[in-house]
Amino acid sequence: MKDPTRREFLWTSGLGLLAAGCAPTAADYAQKSGRRVVVIGGGWGGTTAAKYVRLADPSIEVVLLEPNKQFVSCPFSNLVLSGVRTIDSITFGYDRLRAHGVRVLHDTATAIEPDAKRVRVGNDSLPYDRLIVSPGVEFQWEQVEGLAAAQDRVLHAWKAGPQTVELARQLQAMPDGGVFVLTIPPAVYRCPPGPYERTCQVAWYLKNNKPKSKLIVLDANPNIISKTALFRAAWASYPNIEYRGSNKVVKVDPGTREVTTELGDKVKYDVLNLIPPQRAGTIAVSADLVGADKRWCEVNHLTYESVKHKNIHVIGDSTIGLPVPKSGNIANAMGKISALAVVSLLSDKPVPPMAPGNTCYSWVSDREAIAVVNAYKIEGGKVVQIEQKLTPGQSEMWAQNAVGWATSIWQDMLG
Amino acid sequence: MERDNVMPIVLISLLLLALTGTAGAGPLDGPGAPTAVICSACHGFAGQSQSNTMPILAGMASWYFKKAIQDFAAGKRTSPEMEPYAKQVVQFGLDDVAAYFAAQKRTVTPVTSDPAAIERGRAAAAQCTLCHGASGKGDPAKGVPDLTGQPPGYLKSQMLLFKADKRSPGDAQLKVVKALMATIPDEQLADLAAYWSSVR
Ligand SMILES: Cc1cc2nc3c(=O)[nH]c(=O)nc-3n(C[C@H](O)[C@H](O)[C@H](O)COP(=O)(O)OP(=O)(O)OC[C@H]3O[C@@H](n4cnc5c(N)ncnc54)[C@H](O)[C@@H]3O)c2cc1C
Ligand code: HEC
Ligand code: HEC
Repeated sequence: MKDPTRREFLWTSGLGLLAAGCAPTAADYAQKSGRRVVVIGGGWGGTTAAKYVRLADPSIEVVLLEPNKQFVSCPFSNLVLSGVRTIDSITFGYDRLRAHGVRVLHDTATAIEPDAKRVRVGNDSLPYDRLIVSPGVEFQWEQVEGLAAAQDRVLHAWKAGPQTVELARQLQAMPDGGVFVLTIPPAVYRCPPGPYERTCQVAWYLKNNKPKSKLIVLDANPNIISKTALFRAAWASYPNIEYRGSNKVVKVDPGTREVTTELGDKVKYDVLNLIPPQRAGTIAVSADLVGADKRWCEVNHLTYESVKHKNIHVIGDSTIGLPVPKSGNIANAMGKISALAVVSLLSDKPVPPMAPGNTCYSWVSDREAIAVVNAYKIEGGKVVQIEQKLTPGQSEMWAQNAVGWATSIWQDMLG
Repeated sequence: MERDNVMPIVLISLLLLALTGTAGAGPLDGPGAPTAVICSACHGFAGQSQSNTMPILAGMASWYFKKAIQDFAAGKRTSPEMEPYAKQVVQFGLDDVAAYFAAQKRTVTPVTSDPAAIERGRAAAAQCTLCHGASGKGDPAKGVPDLTGQPPGYLKSQMLLFKADKRSPGDAQLKVVKALMATIPDEQLADLAAYWSSVR
């Protein structure tokens, strides 16, 4: 019973390894015969959308483009930093999706041609009737001086994978008495409570393993932006946290191991985790799906169709304008809603009103969690929040519910 | 390799489609489905929860489903997770969503319990059958739900909530069951959870 999620999910990761390594062939891009939905991005939104189109109407062909052979979950990845979980326990394959009849091609979409209704993949092209785009976020490297040139050395660990493992290694290798600096970008960014959960996990690890060390959090926002009182209460058990609000980091120098804030303060580090500002995934920007801010994509609240291009739906972290956080739970909900909308539209049926739901659990230690829950309705064609609810405190029960959530939602996406 | 896997599935589904005309009533059909898909993030696809903590909704009697949702929405059965979702269900149509889950194939939890715990639970289960029935399937007339096949972790945490008067605190109709739970040591609650979870 130590790690039920891991046990219940062995099948996905095991199978994933077997199928790794099949390169797509020219025939995979052949002219389509029947109705085809193409999905860009095999993360939280894209996997769900691809699976649910097939579940709702197996006569529709679904092609999913995703360069990575394995899916690594961002939710629960902060627990890898503290050593509470392994990266293997949050890594899964795409084979169950294939069993639903989704054609998973491990490739990158390089351009979208909305008029021709085609996705370019290098020299190949993939025609679609409807396109669902869920490319997540890209980092705005240029917003922090010195970052673009040091991308490989300054870790974000904000896309779970090798960087998560490397940051955990650096934390373990840090001498007792060292300084770990975590920097948080201004909102809006992926997963509002994520950096504060990470603060708890790093602080928990240091408290138990390197009690003379310090964690300095440089937050561009004036205060904790999510579950504020709950995180403050949790941090009371971690005197090793030094939190500085309104401290936007504008410069990094890996040579002198120093970051500089907007106010001109210089902060030395032994280990640095710099979370850069973010925008919609690159393909969404190059395909002109982003708004005037050149960062995020506006969509119809019922169908997730782009307000800029017909037949192209955008979901997940890349979207803006709905009263929802950038969370995996929301991306999963948008995946289901957009899939059912696309199936209705392809069958000339009315799209039923559907609203997302959100729960974000955050682990505040190795065994306790807190949560925020949001419910929504549709009013005047827009998504409107019904209410937001917080757990009254932290507990092991909510941590166990978090494990239940992860088990269910990973299966909803990839099972 | 990939195409070998996929083509037969595509062909079979096309064939099925040709035979049946349209896809039959599936887990995404019915007026409750567009709301119910949101629940699978925790309760599993079509309410068939695979986890130890989230209750199975598939095949749940609609009288009990509706009571639970109404109690959550009213803040009577307190749950920070369920209160907002319950309000969302009420907003979109409680009857439709209840009918949706009632129509899904009843599954049992894949989480298994220690056989010794199941045996100890069986020996203590007589005190439950007065209300939940000898089979544990519940009794709509008395407002008592089915316990069988639910995840052991879920059953145990609900019994602990009863014991601490944290599930529907102060509810006069639950006085007897709460008084009973208060007499049972926590370890025996775990055994009872293991037993009722294993009953088919
Ligand atoms: C540390 C951390 C903790 C988090 N914790 C939680 C949590 O507890 N709960 C929660 O709900 N959310 C959490 N989140 C947020 C969650 O991970 C994101 O909101 C979610 O991943 C968004 O889904 P998405 O589909 O938009 O993007 P992603 O899941 O990032 O998927 C995008 C995919 O698109 C692919 N892609 C990009 N461009 C292309 C292209 N051109 N062609 C093909 N493929 C492409 C990428 O490879 C990627 O796999 C957390 C995030 C972080 C970083
Ligand atoms: C974030 C996870 C989460 C989501 C999403 C969620 N639930 Fe729940 N649900 C729970 C938890 C946790 C419980 C147990 C609550 C308690 O402690 O009483 C529960 C309990 C229930 C129960 C009571 C079951 C019983 O046996 O008494 C019903 C009914 C229910 N949920 C329906 C729904 C419906 C319908 C939806 C979708 C609209 C939904 N839930 C979405 C977490 C969730
Ligand atoms: C006096 C009648 C009574 C007795 C005796 C009784 N129960 Fe119950 N039980 C109920 C009622 C009524 C409910 C539904 C409560 C509600 O509507 O919120 C319930 C609900 C439950 C639930 C929650 C189920 C769910 O899906 O959320 C569990 C678990 C449970 N009982 C276990 C037991 C066990 C184990 C015993 C024996 C030790 C027992 N009960 C004895 C009346 C009883």
